[in-house]
Amino acid sequence: MKRKLLAALVTLPFVLLVACAKKEAPPAAAAFEMAPVSAAGPCELNLFIWSEYIDPEIVAAFEKEFSCKVTIDLYEDNESMMAKLQGGGTALYDVVVPGQYLIPVMVKLNLLAELRHANLPNLANLDEKFVNPVYDPGNRYSVGYQWGTVGIYLRRKPGKAVDETWGLLFDKTKQYGSYLLMDSMREMMGSVAKYQGKSLNTTVPDDVRAQIAVLGDSKARSQGFEGGVGGKNKVLGKAVDAAVVYNGDAVRGMADDPETYYFVPREGGVLWLDNLVVPAKAPHRDSAEKFINYILDAKVGAQLSNFNQYATPNKAAKAFVTPEDLANPAIYPSAEMMEKLEFINDLGDGNRLYDEAWTQVKSK
Amino acid sequence: MRRVSLPLWIASGFLYLFLYAPIVVVIVYSFNASRYGGPWRGFTTEWYPAILANADKLDAAKNTLILGVASTLIATVLGTMLGFGLSRFRFRGKKFFSFLMYIPVVIPDIVMAVAMLMFFRLVRDRFGLFQLGMTTMILSHVTFQIPFVAIVVRSRLVGMDAGIEEAAHDLGATSWQTFRHITLPMILPAVVAGGMLAFTLSLDDFVVSFFTTGPGSTTLPILIYSSVKRGITPDINALSTLIVLVSIVATLAGLLFQRPRDSRQHPGGKL
Amino acid sequence: MAGEANPRLARTEVRFGERLTAQAELLRSSLTSGPGILWVSLFLLLPLAGIGVISFLTRGTYGEIELPFTIGNYRRIAGFGLLGFDAQYPQIILRSLLLGAGTTVVCLAASFPLAFFIAGQPERRKQLALTLLIIPFWTNLLIRTYAWQILLGPDSFLARVASTLGLAEAGRPLYPSVFAVYLGMLCAYLPFLALPLYTAVEKLDWSIAEAASDLGADKLRVFRHAILPQLVPGMIAGIILVFIPATGQFVVPDLLGGAKTVMLGNAIQQQFGPSRDWPFGSAIAFVGMAVVLVGLYLQSRSAAAREGEGLL
Repeated sequence: MKRKLLAALVTLPFVLLVACAKKEAPPAAAAFEMAPVSAAGPCELNLFIWSEYIDPEIVAAFEKEFSCKVTIDLYEDNESMMAKLQGGGTALYDVVVPGQYLIPVMVKLNLLAELRHANLPNLANLDEKFVNPVYDPGNRYSVGYQWGTVGIYLRRKPGKAVDETWGLLFDKTKQYGSYLLMDSMREMMGSVAKYQGKSLNTTVPDDVRAQIAVLGDSKARSQGFEGGVGGKNKVLGKAVDAAVVYNGDAVRGMADDPETYYFVPREGGVLWLDNLVVPAKAPHRDSAEKFINYILDAKVGAQLSNFNQYATPNKAAKAFVTPEDLANPAIYPSAEMMEKLEFINDLGDGNRLYDEAWTQVKSK
Repeated sequence: MRRVSLPLWIASGFLYLFLYAPIVVVIVYSFNASRYGGPWRGFTTEWYPAILANADKLDAAKNTLILGVASTLIATVLGTMLGFGLSRFRFRGKKFFSFLMYIPVVIPDIVMAVAMLMFFRLVRDRFGLFQLGMTTMILSHVTFQIPFVAIVVRSRLVGMDAGIEEAAHDLGATSWQTFRHITLPMILPAVVAGGMLAFTLSLDDFVVSFFTTGPGSTTLPILIYSSVKRGITPDINALSTLIVLVSIVATLAGLLFQRPRDSRQHPGGKL
Repeated sequence: MAGEANPRLARTEVRFGERLTAQAELLRSSLTSGPGILWVSLFLLLPLAGIGVISFLTRGTYGEIELPFTIGNYRRIAGFGLLGFDAQYPQIILRSLLLGAGTTVVCLAASFPLAFFIAGQPERRKQLALTLLIIPFWTNLLIRTYAWQILLGPDSFLARVASTLGLAEAGRPLYPSVFAVYLGMLCAYLPFLALPLYTAVEKLDWSIAEAASDLGADKLRVFRHAILPQLVPGMIAGIILVFIPATGQFVVPDLLGGAKTVMLGNAIQQQFGPSRDWPFGSAIAFVGMAVVLVGLYLQSRSAAAREGEGLL
């Protein structure tokens, strides 16, 4: 008797899971009707965002202008955020900031609500490059927030010109001294792919094997892997000579210490783009769209970029961005460099190839 | 035999020093005049008033404390009962349940977090309970704290001389009286130790908290882990320093105001 | 034992001076152990069973969890990957077990002096010493570990001492290194051994040690035969509370070891993170847990056979 009870107890969660999994989230159209429209009542907004990614003054100004109370929750990587949304966070948060590669996935998993363009007049401010993007045709679900690059940040050696190539890390003969690699699967492997002249979204196993070989060799000569900011801090602190970092961190580092220098190597690199989206069951959908529209305002967009020194996708905002930032190739790469930058895409079943490759590189 | 020898003082002193060395670094770097963390750039005290004025960080600290105290209290009670029950009584399936109690210790944080997230979601979809927030966080924390307390309490009970308890029963005390006046004082160090461990676990938990929290219930570890991608900024160090200071002051105050113990032997030692 | 098999009214046992019918014993068991067991079963074990089921499911193209059932995840752990056969997961598990064991040894070495030291203090100071021991652990582990990076940095006091002593190159930081990792792990897990050990030392019956010494045993033998056996339950509790979590730790090895290897924790995190393959991550977690639990079980069986203290 006890055994049957135990068996029932063990199978129960599975049964519930499968039964409920089918009802994961209603398709976008139904979410349209189901999301509560907060017509009257105090305005509230639950923002789920990376830390230090928005100027607190922008939030304060928004709260004042719309008499809205904004609660901010933080996350530290895209996938934790997704897991949270999948676990019920779609009904908790109003605005989230995922990377562009996750948007097609989130749409397929019914995690997002459509943006009602009627509420977003400032959408017209977006630069053409970010309107109707490949990963979200018609901007149905997302609006560009900030974008940037991944490159090499190093301490200049007095009197010597820097050879701007990934070979500084990947080529034994060109090694720049002690260095750190970035502890991020797609960004790091993608950089190797660009160095080898391939697309960073390749799913050809031999291409990936070649990446493993180069990266494995580079790892052996390196000081290890580090997250972006750690790398920049160690270059600043003279613990290493070079590191792979995100451009925003590098820009701050360069302001702190003019002997340091950031560049995207001539072979090209990763282009990243974060977006504002509204989860499928957002409790305050109207406030969410008000907020997104507010961010799209020219002056606010500029204030944002001036605060975190990443690049803005907002053409109208560029008029108000500090001129030094606009002229800084670390923030706004030249047109020629832009050609060589590539977005990371989610590879569906191809992700497994990179997962295995990365595990191999890291564990050998 | 209970005198503490000089080598022991030296060894322990060294160990305490070693444990506090990082704390000293934290305190020192809370005065670092570098906005984004990183190397030392000069001395400043500006971060302290900034922290005290920062509502978000204070809220996180408050949430962390509420969560820690609430979950520790519940877990200590349940864990002590569990440790006592497992070591004293026999029942069917005891071996099996003992074994099961190790699972929260063995399970990786993220798997536990995901499991609880899905569980809460299932229940929420069916019964509307368990909105993510402080309640779900407390429930989750208690879940991984209970076994820690139980294991420590149980270890103290095992092999403990039952003579006093037997004597109490012989003299007519009920089980509850025996437990309350004899057993409990004897295992109190273990209960306290278990509680301290549980509190530590809760204070430092990030993964489970992140997945079970809701808007407005952010805790300090979540704040810190999320900020680490941007670097450990001096204001985080300032906040940690304040916490250490408050803990030390609270401890000293607690000790000063404690009633002096009776000089009679406290049970558990020699008779 | 006789009274355990079948609860019948007529049978009674004497439990610590109390006569209990089997029914009464069951009642007491339920009241004491019941709530704890129920809580953990409901909130964790049940959902965990769900995760176990997930480990046999498949990852969809977009990271969903879907049918069909498969043992592919477990095959992958055994080494059958897309890029050929590679037994990396068994190596990862072994590496983590080693880290756990090493950490336990280091913590034991440090816990003994501390436990005896604190237990030897007068009453008031005992509380103070205990609390002072644990206060550093109320500072976030990440922050403390980053502080160790500074303490072991290229120009730090410790680095300079090490280079003067010839133990390290001048001007180089003392991390990433195995030494740094164990330093960090000790800093993370010490109280989980020290506190249980302390509770055992605190209730030490010194009269046995005195008797042994009176009978002519030297200090070492007194320690080994009169004191150590009394500490075994506390030691074992502490060992469990350190070994198991340390096996799953990956943040400290990453920060102080340069993130150059993959630990069990890294592997699992990667699947629930960037690779978004929950079925595979669940499988890795279950294999890791199974290894540890089997170890615990075997130890308790062998201890029972020796009529010694088991971990269960």
